[in-house]
Amino acid sequence: MSIFEKFEAAARARSELAADGPSAIATPIDSVRSATRGTIDGQEVLLAGTNNYMGLTFDSDVIKASQDALTSSGSGTTGSRMANGSYDGHAALERELADAFGWPAAIVFSTGYQANLGTLSGLAADGDYLLVDADSHASIYDGCRLSRAQTLVFRHNDPANLDRRLARLGDEAKRAVVVVEGLYSMMGDQPPLDEFVEVKKKHGAWLVVDEAHSFGVFGKRGLGLSEQAGVLDDVDFIIGTFSKSLAGIGGFCVSRHQQLELLRLASRPYIFTASPSPAVIAGTRVALQKIVAGKALRAQLQRNIERLYAGARKLGFRLGSDTPGPVAAIILPDRATALAHWKGLLASGVYANLMIPPATPAGLNLLRISMSAAHSDEDVDQILDGLTVLAADLAPPELAQAVS
Amino acid sequence: MSSTRDRVDAAIGQGLNNALPELGQPDRDAVLTSGIGLDSVQIMNLVMEIEDELDISVPVDVLAETRTLNELAERLTRMIDGDTP
Repeated sequence: MSIFEKFEAAARARSELAADGPSAIATPIDSVRSATRGTIDGQEVLLAGTNNYMGLTFDSDVIKASQDALTSSGSGTTGSRMANGSYDGHAALERELADAFGWPAAIVFSTGYQANLGTLSGLAADGDYLLVDADSHASIYDGCRLSRAQTLVFRHNDPANLDRRLARLGDEAKRAVVVVEGLYSMMGDQPPLDEFVEVKKKHGAWLVVDEAHSFGVFGKRGLGLSEQAGVLDDVDFIIGTFSKSLAGIGGFCVSRHQQLELLRLASRPYIFTASPSPAVIAGTRVALQKIVAGKALRAQLQRNIERLYAGARKLGFRLGSDTPGPVAAIILPDRATALAHWKGLLASGVYANLMIPPATPAGLNLLRISMSAAHSDEDVDQILDGLTVLAADLAPPELAQAVS
Repeated sequence: MSSTRDRVDAAIGQGLNNALPELGQPDRDAVLTSGIGLDSVQIMNLVMEIEDELDISVPVDVLAETRTLNELAERLTRMIDGDTP
């Protein structure tokens, strides 16, 4: 018996997904030359399967700031924030993030994954509770596992279900940290944040909103769904990532509570890792400015989103979200059909994502398309043309009805 | 009056019907993952149904330590009767 035996089923699935052409998971991308163009298997493709919502990865000011920092401050910090890895830029970015929200505290983490791990495991300790949405990202679940708090799961986007779970805790609900996301990245759906806020207030619990996929995209200043829903005053902590709209890598937590600062003393994923490199921090600071002032980018993104959602629906595709957003998840009846759609779209020069269980909720097989402010009208046309071919050649859209 | 364990067993039956109707009523001593073939998301959906049936909240770490439906029933019974899970 080998310790590798447990991976056999996953390895078989991987082989199947890699048969005949580039693999649909961990797709090898030969080169990327802009926010929307790259090469896969020798073919020029339109990138519609990234999280580059604001399209800033090739912004000349972001690149220049990163290049300058690389030259002036070196390629890496070689240490933790606790030790030798706290540079001026880290503190400046934290100030700028806190200022963007008008809040007193912010902490930068080295990845988005660690932002959830570090915040949740740091905030909630033995005797506290973490109440998380069932469709939460793996980093939220892993943050719960690292915490000594008791973790309870409530039904996806169901404030009434959360209400019942908090009610069962009685007075202890005041030690409960509720975690929801601003946009669920598999299905592209959004939570009823105003209702969650009411439930949280009713029980005196604390609310964390993970805006990883919604920061930059929603709200007048791009601060996320909490801003758009007008509930910022009732959110306690917002978690975000630098690796999507902010076009770098890293993560953050901002809070209306000054005591967030204390997490620096208790959060293992913050303490025991090297801090982000100066180039990443410098680029992120410029990207943050562009996002807060990015009305025109958001307008173009919104236009692209509405055209894609309307077009996909007109073709008869069933989408994971009723409310249009930067992720359009086309629900397909089984893995083979979803894979055929993924390959078909790639053949028409569009790279999207194949998403399959257990990464997806409810055992769904998805073709996930994500929009960027950098996509032009012609780019959206190309995606819709590709979908038109799929609708004609592959699964009749009514097949999607088979999945309820 | 039925015992807590009877109530829990009935709730597991109902939870299976609601969350995983295609399974029917599987062997409750079979390992949920390797024996019945459930993934982590399916197990969580099943447990959420059972929680609603019994009006209790089951901590995630209880699930992590539970391999079969009968083990789950034992833990839930102890939880409801006021012992530590």
